[in-house]
Amino acid sequence: MSALTFERLGKSYGDATVVQDVSLAIKEGEFVSLLGPSGCGKTTILRMVAGLVTPSRGRILIGSDDVTALPPNKRGLGLVFQSYALFPHLTVYENVAFGLRRRKVAGAELEKRVKEALAMVRLGAFGERYPRQLSGGQQQRVAIARALAPHPRVLLFDEPLSNLDAQLRDEMQIELKRLQRGLGITTLFVTHDQGEALSMSDRVGVMAKGVMQQFATPEDIYHRPATGFVASFIGKPNRLTGSVALRNGAGGTLSLGGGLKLPASLIDQPEGAKVDIVIRQEAIRLHRDGTETGALAGTIALRSFSGARVQYVVKLAEQVELVAEAPSSGPDSELAIGSSVALAIDPASVFAMSAEGTAA
Amino acid sequence: MTSATDSDDRPGLAVTTTALAVIVFLQVPVIVVMLAAFSTTSYLTIPPQGLTLAWFGKVLSDPSYLSAIRMSLILACGSTVISLVLGVAAAYALFRKSVPGSEAITSFLMAPLILPAVVIGVALLQYFSLTGLRGSLIGLLMAHVVITVPYIVRSGLASLSGLDLAVEEAARVLGATGFEAFRLVTLPLIRPGLVAGALFAFITSLDNVPVTIFLIGANQTTLPVLIFSSVEMGIDPSVAAVSTLLIVATGIVLLIAERRAGFHRFV
Ligand SMILES: Nc1ncnc2c1ncn2[C@@H]1O[C@H](COP(=O)(O)OP(=O)(O)O)[C@@H](O)[C@H]1O
Ligand SMILES: [Mg+2]
Repeated sequence: MSALTFERLGKSYGDATVVQDVSLAIKEGEFVSLLGPSGCGKTTILRMVAGLVTPSRGRILIGSDDVTALPPNKRGLGLVFQSYALFPHLTVYENVAFGLRRRKVAGAELEKRVKEALAMVRLGAFGERYPRQLSGGQQQRVAIARALAPHPRVLLFDEPLSNLDAQLRDEMQIELKRLQRGLGITTLFVTHDQGEALSMSDRVGVMAKGVMQQFATPEDIYHRPATGFVASFIGKPNRLTGSVALRNGAGGTLSLGGGLKLPASLIDQPEGAKVDIVIRQEAIRLHRDGTETGALAGTIALRSFSGARVQYVVKLAEQVELVAEAPSSGPDSELAIGSSVALAIDPASVFAMSAEGTAA
Repeated sequence: MTSATDSDDRPGLAVTTTALAVIVFLQVPVIVVMLAAFSTTSYLTIPPQGLTLAWFGKVLSDPSYLSAIRMSLILACGSTVISLVLGVAAAYALFRKSVPGSEAITSFLMAPLILPAVVIGVALLQYFSLTGLRGSLIGLLMAHVVITVPYIVRSGLASLSGLDLAVEEAARVLGATGFEAFRLVTLPLIRPGLVAGALFAFITSLDNVPVTIFLIGANQTTLPVLIFSSVEMGIDPSVAAVSTLLIVATGIVLLIAERRAGFHRFV
């Protein structure tokens, strides 16, 4: 049985459909992310699960209970807000105790569970502080402890890490994941950050304009995108335009400007159609000219060093440029501007779709 | 709202002098009245001659003053409490936009601040004559609620607009009913603003003459109305003494309001 199920869940505001027929089943203990650009309806879905927004269509089930019509206080969920939404007039201890008190937990049991929750987020010594006396990262952890303390059936997160600086965000990703694994708690995590979604989740639901594009493991999302949108949203895409030269199964051959040909693994348009082409930067290998045969050729137009990797802008033909990456310690890290290179492109990372299908 | 802490923004000497002059001019009558209350003469005179507390003693042992003070306090306390309940409920509903036409309703509730008090007095007089409430305590109380509720609504709306609505939602998800979320989270967070609004409502009721004077019954009166009619009959320093009491009481309330809640932010 699934821990959390959506059945054709939908939400409209007037004429605007914000969430369209989303169906999904999350397993017990699973970590699922909803990933998509800002405004695609992720928060709306989360708020419908929490009971803060009433769905226009469809059903929400927690376990086997239909909770679609239940008020938020009857759903037994934990929600961590993007803004944390801590109670500023209550101490950290009372913030964490709030949900337990509503469930009539009192006395020694209350104290034990609050301490337990605070210890889980390593804030055991901060019970007497007020939220304003804590750093952003600490407030974040209080919000998590507050959501966890009442032992919710499902834990919901709305972009919880987006207000933290990069280093803290990486630490929190690992800490959160470890916490979630340890407790085995079913988790629905909303984010617009693909790195976050791919690294933390058992499965990822990619959304665009209120429509669920693909719901699959991070590996499938990355390597086997189901739609043009997913292909163009995930990874670091190069975007080109071209046309379909030859169809062959799901893939075929594309022709770029300047007479260039390129094999692709996913083409959702017929032969001859104009298409948008997505090539992952990380799927392009550069070699000094002559070391590779049968590959595309180009010249280095720009080189930029970013620590672990070096990025090159490679010019293939007039109006046709690609960004490619190489490890900064490898043999191809010192290619000079103006030098000729051969490009080996993995067809599995080349996708072509109708112009409207791509992520903006 | 605006604070002139930046030295470049300091007003010039002329502005400062003018402002000081205006403040002094406005406050002179208050000072004159307070000084006159201590005079040993049986008529009002400035500067006061001699120094006595006798007029305060006379006021505080005069049954008509005492019953007027009691009436004023009953009205001020009663109308403040009723306005708090109604005004907070109204502000909350208006803020959450849970009623259609919230702009219009807000303007309607605020109208007593703008309408001339005499107009309100006359209108209520007509209404109370028709409904038989004229001269009753209930009628007076209702009238005072009408003129005090805008202060509560305004301070309530101002406090709510500074609130992160997510905190109430967080409380709901954590298991609080709608009312619990309001009582345990929203209300404590808007309390400072409400205290300020309530104190202002209290003073407004305590000082009101123009509305009260139309509605008061034959054998009842409030303190400011009594002062008003005493002055018509000829002034002796007991009027100055009772006025001084009113001024001091008002001043204390204002001071508490400023200390407790940064009052000036809400009115
Ligand atoms: N109360 C509302 N009324 C009208 N439109 C809304 C409301 N709430 C959200 N929307 C719209 O729904 C869309 C999805 O919003 P949201 O779920 O917050 O997106 P996300 O969290 O993916 O960024 C947005 O276009 C937003 O403007
Ligand atoms: Mg959002």
